[in-house]
Amino acid sequence: MSTNSTDEGLLTGRRLFLRQVATLAGSASLAPKVIGAAAVAAGSAIAAPASAQPAGAPIASAPAFGYESLGPDEASFVEAMVNVMCPADNLTPNGVDCGLAVFIDRQLAGGFGTGDRLYMRGPWKQGKPQLGYQLPLTPDQFFKAGVAAANAACRGRFDKDFDQLEPADADAFLRDLAGGKISDIRVPLGQWFNELVYPLFTQACFADPMYGGNNGKVFWKMIGYPGLPATHTRDMVNFRGKPYPGAKDPKAIQDFS
Amino acid sequence: MATTMKKRTVVICGGGLTAGLIARQLTAKNVDVLVLERGYDHTRAAEAKLPNQRDELRWATHAGLAQDWAVQTYTLRHGRNETALPVRRMEAFLPGEGMGGAANHWNGQTWRWAEYDPTLRTRLEGRYGRKAIPADMPIQDWGVTYGEMESYHDLFERLFGIAGKAGNLRGQIQAGGNPFEGPRQNEYPQPPLETTEAGVIFTRAAENLGYKPFPMAAANSPNAYTNPDGMKLGQCQYCGHCERFICEASAKGSPEVLLFPMLLKRPSFELRLRCHVLEVEYDRQAKRVRGVRYVDLMTGEEYEQPADIVVLASFTMSNTKYLLMSGIGQPYDPTNGSGVVGKNFCHQMMSGVNVFFKDRWINPFLASGASQTCVDEFNEDNFDHTGLGFFGGGYIYSNVTNGRPIASRLVPPGTPAWGSSWKQANADWYAHSFAITAHGSWYPHRENYLDLDPTYTDAYGQPLVRMTMDIRDNERRMSEYCTQRAEEIAKGTGATIVASGTPRRGPYDSRVYQTTHVTGGTIMGADPGTSVVSPHSQHWDAQNLFVVGASVYPFNAGYNPTGPLGALALRLGDDMVRYIDRPQIL
Ligand SMILES: Cc1cc2nc3c(=O)[nH]c(=O)nc-3n(C[C@H](O)[C@H](O)[C@H](O)COP(=O)(O)OP(=O)(O)OC[C@H]3O[C@@H](n4cnc5c(N)ncnc54)[C@H](O)[C@@H]3O)c2cc1C
Repeated sequence: MSTNSTDEGLLTGRRLFLRQVATLAGSASLAPKVIGAAAVAAGSAIAAPASAQPAGAPIASAPAFGYESLGPDEASFVEAMVNVMCPADNLTPNGVDCGLAVFIDRQLAGGFGTGDRLYMRGPWKQGKPQLGYQLPLTPDQFFKAGVAAANAACRGRFDKDFDQLEPADADAFLRDLAGGKISDIRVPLGQWFNELVYPLFTQACFADPMYGGNNGKVFWKMIGYPGLPATHTRDMVNFRGKPYPGAKDPKAIQDFS
Repeated sequence: MATTMKKRTVVICGGGLTAGLIARQLTAKNVDVLVLERGYDHTRAAEAKLPNQRDELRWATHAGLAQDWAVQTYTLRHGRNETALPVRRMEAFLPGEGMGGAANHWNGQTWRWAEYDPTLRTRLEGRYGRKAIPADMPIQDWGVTYGEMESYHDLFERLFGIAGKAGNLRGQIQAGGNPFEGPRQNEYPQPPLETTEAGVIFTRAAENLGYKPFPMAAANSPNAYTNPDGMKLGQCQYCGHCERFICEASAKGSPEVLLFPMLLKRPSFELRLRCHVLEVEYDRQAKRVRGVRYVDLMTGEEYEQPADIVVLASFTMSNTKYLLMSGIGQPYDPTNGSGVVGKNFCHQMMSGVNVFFKDRWINPFLASGASQTCVDEFNEDNFDHTGLGFFGGGYIYSNVTNGRPIASRLVPPGTPAWGSSWKQANADWYAHSFAITAHGSWYPHRENYLDLDPTYTDAYGQPLVRMTMDIRDNERRMSEYCTQRAEEIAKGTGATIVASGTPRRGPYDSRVYQTTHVTGGTIMGADPGTSVVSPHSQHWDAQNLFVVGASVYPFNAGYNPTGPLGALALRLGDDMVRYIDRPQIL
C-alpha cells in the first residue's frame, strides 16, 4: 500500500524515457506507431497534449513500455481509437495515458487473445448472431483482421488510415462501425466492434490496473468504486445511503501484493 | 484399453452440491462412496484468497471458474429445422467445475419453491380447468409433495446456515416474511442480511402498491455460524464478490466449505479430482448399470470404475448426456412427443427496469449476492392467470448484488457508448442507480429439448449436447407482464429517471447471461412413460442408477433452483441407504 509514491516515481521516469525516444525518433508520424505515450508527447492530431488537460484533471501514470501483440499500424489504430473513445477531459487523461491501449495489447497477447476457453473445433459456419462467435480465428487474429478491414474502409471513405482522422471524423466512423454501417467483404465489422473491441475498451477502463489499463485507478476514482479490500460488514450499515469515503481513494490488487 | 479399478458401493459422477449432500447422508451410515469430479480443489488457489479473489476480469468477465468451453460446450439452434452451431464461448449460463461445483461460485439466493410447485399440473388444472394448459406445454407433477420434502429443506437450511425471515410458520403467516411461502416448521437458522439502500427504496415503493416485501433468503452468512455438523461459516463482508467468485471469507454456504472438508475425513469417502466421466456402462439385458468409464486428466489414461450403484450428479447438461451416450431410457422425440431423455429443457427469464436517483447513495459495492429485497406477488401461480394468456411469473426485487465496475454500471437511456459524456454519465450515476428485476419462470415447451449433436464433438471425441430451444409465446407474455409490474414499482420509487423496462423477447441468446438454472432433460414423475426418474430420483429402467440436480425438474420455476435441489439430494441420500439394504424400486 505504501508503494504508491514509488510507483509514481518510476513511471514518471519511464514517461520521461518515452518522451526522449519520441524526440530521438524525430518524426511525429513515426513515433505514435512505435510507442503509446509518444503520441501524447508528439502531440498528434488525435491525442490531446498533456498541457491541454484541464486543471485539476486526475493524473495517470504512463503506460508500461512496449507492445506484446500489436504491430505498429495496429498500435496506431488502437491508440487513436482509445483516445477518441476516452478523450482527455476533466475526468480522465486520454485513453493512451490511461493505459487502455496497453490493456488491449496485453489481453490479445495473453490467454484471452490466443483462444483460452474458446471452443475451436470445426466445421465452421456462420449463423444467427444469438449463436455467438463462429469464426476460426483466435480473438487476437480477429482483432487484427478487423483493424485491417476497418482501416481499408477508412481509406475508402476518407482516403486516410483511421489514425490520421480528425477526432470528429474518427468518432463518427466508430459510431458507424458500432451501428453496423461499415461493411467489409470478409470481416463482420459490426460484430467485431460490438462483441470484441467495445468490451475490451470497457474492460480496459474498469478492470484492476494490474492488467495495464485504468492507470492510477483513474476510472475507479471517476465513478467512486472503492476497490479492495471490500470488507464492508460495518460499512454496509454505517454508509447505507451515504457517500462512502473510501470511494475517493480506491485500492487495487497491487496495493495488497 | 481402460484399466479396471476395484469395485465400489456407490460411485457419484460429479462432485458438486448435490454430490456432497448425498455423500453426507451415505457416509454417515458408513456406506462406501467414491466421487469422480473433473475439476480441482479451489480452496487454496488465487480464486479463494485476497487480493486476487477480487479480480473481476479474471473470475467474472472471463468466467474463470466456469466449465472450460474449449474442452466441452453445447450446440444451439432455435428450432428443429435449423442447423445447430457450437456456442464457442457460452455466456447464457455457466456450469461450474471443481470440488463443490457451481455452488462454490453461486450467489447464495436460497428459495424453497412454492408449496404447489411439485404438483403444479394438478394445481393449474384445478384452478383453470383441464383444457387451460396448452398442448405444447408438457408440464407435470413431480410425484413428491412439498410436505414430504419439508424436513429436508429444513436440514439443508441448517447445514448451509441460511439467513432469512419466515413468512409462513406452520401455517401462520408472519409479518416481514414472504406470505406466499409454503409452511415451514422452523424459522431460518440465521436472521436476514442487512438491507441495502436499494432495498429501503424498493420496500417503500412496493408497500405503497400493497405488496409485502421481504428479505431474500441467503446462503451468505450474516454472522459467524456453526452448522449441525460442526462446520463453520465466517461473516459476510458485503464485498460484492459472490456470483462467479469463491468467498474468500468462507462466509457463503458452499460445498467446499461445509461438506467436502468433513467428508474427506470420513473413512468410507473418497474424492478423485481431475477425473472426467465419459460414460455409464449399462447392461441392457439385466437393466443395471455396471459402473462408469472415466479419463484421468492428470495422465490422460482411461479407467473403468465398477459400482453397485451409480449416481449422476453432474448438473443438467452432463446428466442428460450420460443417458443419451449410454442409451439408457428412450430419447425424447419432439415429432410425436414420445420418449423422455432430453425432454422439457428449460432456462429462466430475467428482465427489468433501471432506476436512477440524483440525491440518493445506492453504493452498489456495499452488497452481497443475496442481500436483496423481494416481492412474490407475481411469481408463478401466486396470482390469478385467468385471461392473461400465459402461465408462470417471477419474483421482483431490488437487484443489487455488487458494484463490480466492468459489468455493474448503469447509465440513463440515451447515454452515448463512449466519449466524455459517457464518462460523465458513469461518474454521475454509478453510485446512484440500480435495477428492479423480475426473476421469471420458464415452463416446458414441446419443441425445447436436448439431444446429441450429429456434427460437433468435445475434446474427448464425444458428441456435444445439442440444445434446441427458443423463448416461446408463453414465456414472452410472462416476461412482458412481470416487467410491467416491475415498472410500476420503479415509478413509485421517486427515481429521478426511470428507464423503460426490457422484457425478454428472444430469440434465445447464448451471449447474454440469464442464470445458471437450466433444468430438465432427465425429468422426474410418477409415470415411467413421461419421466426418466421416479419421485425418488431412481431411474425407471436401470434401478441401480439415480439422477440428481436440476435435470430432474419437469419445469423451471420463477425461483432459484438450489433449495429444492438440496432437499431432494438429502432425501435421496436417505433413500439410498434404504435401497442398499433392500435393492428394489423405491
Ligand atoms: C454464477 C452462478 C450463480 C448461481 N447463483 C445461484 C443462486 O443465487 N441461487 C441458486 O439457487 N442457485 C444458484 N446457482 C445454481 C447452483 O450453483 C446450482 O443449482 C447447484 O450448484 C447445482 O448443484 P449440482 O450438484 O446439481 O451441480 P454442481 O454444483 O454444478 O456440480 C456438478 C459437478 O459435476 C461436475 N461434472 C460435470 N460433468 C462431469 C463429468 N463429465 N465428469 C466429472 N465431473 C463432471 C462439474 O465439474 C461440477 O463440479 C448459481 C450458479 C452459478 C454458476
